[in-house]
Amino acid sequence: MDKPRTDEDQQLVARTQSGDPGAFDQLVVKYTPRLYGLVYNMTSNHEDTNDLLQDVFSKAYKAIRGFRGKSSFYTWVHSIAVNMTLNFLKKRGRRFQLSLDDVDASIQNDKEFLELTATSSPVREADLSELQRRLNEAMMKLSDEHRAVVTMFHIQGMPHAEISKILRVSEGTVRSRLFYANRQLQNYLDEFRKNPVA
Amino acid sequence: MRRLSNSSRAPEFLFRFQLASISGLVFALIFFTAPALLQAQEQSAATISRQVKDVFERVGKAVVKIHGVDEHCEISGTGFFVDPTGTLYTSYTVGGEAGNFTVEFEGKKYPARQVLADIRSGMAMLKVDVATPALPIGKSEQLEVATPVVTIGYPLDLPETPSFGMIAGFDRKYLGRYFSTTHLRVNLPTQRGEAGSPLLNLQGEVVGILVSSLENNSACYALPIDAAEKIRADFVRFGEARHGWIGINVSEAETPVEGSRAEMTKIMEGTPAADSGIKAGDILLQVGRKKVREPEDVLDASFFITAGDTVPITVMRGNEKLTFNVQADFHPASQHPPLIAAPTMNQAIPLKLDSEVQRRP
Amino acid sequence: MNEFDDNEIATLLRLKRHEQPPPGYFENFLHEFHRRQRDELLRQPLWRICMERTHDFFFRLNVSSLTSYPAAVAAVLVCAAVISLRIYQGPETMVAVQSRPELSATADGEGQWTLSSPVATRVFSTRPLRNSSESAHTHLRGSGTPPRYVLDSVPVSYEATFKF
Repeated sequence: MDKPRTDEDQQLVARTQSGDPGAFDQLVVKYTPRLYGLVYNMTSNHEDTNDLLQDVFSKAYKAIRGFRGKSSFYTWVHSIAVNMTLNFLKKRGRRFQLSLDDVDASIQNDKEFLELTATSSPVREADLSELQRRLNEAMMKLSDEHRAVVTMFHIQGMPHAEISKILRVSEGTVRSRLFYANRQLQNYLDEFRKNPVA
Repeated sequence: MRRLSNSSRAPEFLFRFQLASISGLVFALIFFTAPALLQAQEQSAATISRQVKDVFERVGKAVVKIHGVDEHCEISGTGFFVDPTGTLYTSYTVGGEAGNFTVEFEGKKYPARQVLADIRSGMAMLKVDVATPALPIGKSEQLEVATPVVTIGYPLDLPETPSFGMIAGFDRKYLGRYFSTTHLRVNLPTQRGEAGSPLLNLQGEVVGILVSSLENNSACYALPIDAAEKIRADFVRFGEARHGWIGINVSEAETPVEGSRAEMTKIMEGTPAADSGIKAGDILLQVGRKKVREPEDVLDASFFITAGDTVPITVMRGNEKLTFNVQADFHPASQHPPLIAAPTMNQAIPLKLDSEVQRRP
Repeated sequence: MNEFDDNEIATLLRLKRHEQPPPGYFENFLHEFHRRQRDELLRQPLWRICMERTHDFFFRLNVSSLTSYPAAVAAVLVCAAVISLRIYQGPETMVAVQSRPELSATADGEGQWTLSSPVATRVFSTRPLRNSSESAHTHLRGSGTPPRYVLDSVPVSYEATFKF
């Protein structure tokens, strides 16, 4: 996932700040898919994600007049999204529902998946939907902060530097959280492989 | 110069000493009383918190979730038991126009039937045929602005939930339209599904029924329990609500008489008022137990009249204070034949319920 | 190696990008956003809108935040005075959106409290203005719609009468 051109964002922000609501609409349309992925993979719930996204853009719209451009809009809006989601998760607790509608079909056509199944025996052997379900379960077992970095790095494809700006922690912290989270996920999936009926 | 400074040193020193000792006293005062004050504040905050928790724990089991089906879809609201035989109160919006009721409490569901639905008061009563806990009934007339109150309800699909706030006002109207009787305006947060929740004082007694929300659920209106009890009293006596009717039109007098500006400007023909002896121009002072000081007070006075009952009405005529005992008829809106034969009921206000019902699905 | 290694975990995680909302969701998102903005605007009390606008105005003037606050407060007080006068004269401004005007039962010019319309008219608004989880219905999971959770924004009985 490429980082969007910052000058285009700058223009849209400037236009929004001078009162052009259409400009903010463009920002919404541009960032919704990205932010959806981020929030959804942290909450694992479509309804909650939708509500959160609406709140994120609402907050961004209200706060944009004070946006000074010290960071890019991309970082700023991601920061809002991550923080709101983390707060929300703290309040919500462990309840979650998964919606894996129509995942199977699109995954099976995914190039990376095809490569994976060609080379890796654990993946080939395991039933795909079960594997995905286990992965999601494993994700939910991570702490909210660890799940955030895993989502941003692996799923959203953000570089360490960007994640550290969004979370306002050092890059070292980001790397160590990723390392720890990876271990956790591996352990959990290994357990599944050993006890598939569990 | 030196002499001046020498002689001025003494009073200056005295002044400084006074200043220092006063400051010291002030600081000492603050130092010693602040913790006590803070503690008092903490204590009173802790007391309120304890009281609210206490109310919730004691009373929560008598509050129920109500499921029903109306003409469009399933509905979900809240209600509460008022006697040990399973009689429960809820709002008209929950129990008034739906059917197939089930009531959920203590983890089980029970079928319930509607026994009363009164649109004028905005309440409904359902009945479950099971022994139940019951909420003690308080007195809404004892409430004042800023009285702390608690509600317990079933918001959305969540379990029973308390909310805390205070009485914000006693309103006769909202956004330019009048209520059927004074409603309690309460500043506490509410969520959908909580219509029909009991409004409780900190002693755990019911003082109102939550009927609607305002301003994005940051506040709500509750029917005072005294009004609900009037309806229940009618139900116990007659099996239905019986709103009474005298037949008098009231407007504002120019000058107050005996503290009242409510002038009875028209006595309608063929109504209990017509034969009562009350005359146009009389100043209304009291209807039953309700004192009247302005025309708006008639709202509450009217609500508490029961058809068929005799109501003492006190008026001022010139210099004389007179009381008339008038037997109230059925309110024209209640679609009952009048107790008193009335050849001309043109003044009666027609009921157009069906045509007014407009629901946004 | 019969264990999942880092690469495989990474790939499996990347595949989670395929978990997408139902079709049409993103297209509808902007509409939903506008709807919520409108709702919020109607809900906000006038004094708050005035305060925000004043604050923003001073922000844009690039006045340092310290001096802008007192100025903003002063401006707000003036606005509040003006607005409270206007509100006092016109309470019906906010009504149109949420209620269905059945009655017109306020006192008429002669100071006589008369009734001009039916008594027990029901102004029955079944959905409150703002309904945050209505947006969740953009993607129902097909396991049955949830019930309507009842809490109307307008009480049932709105009769106005000074006849008794």
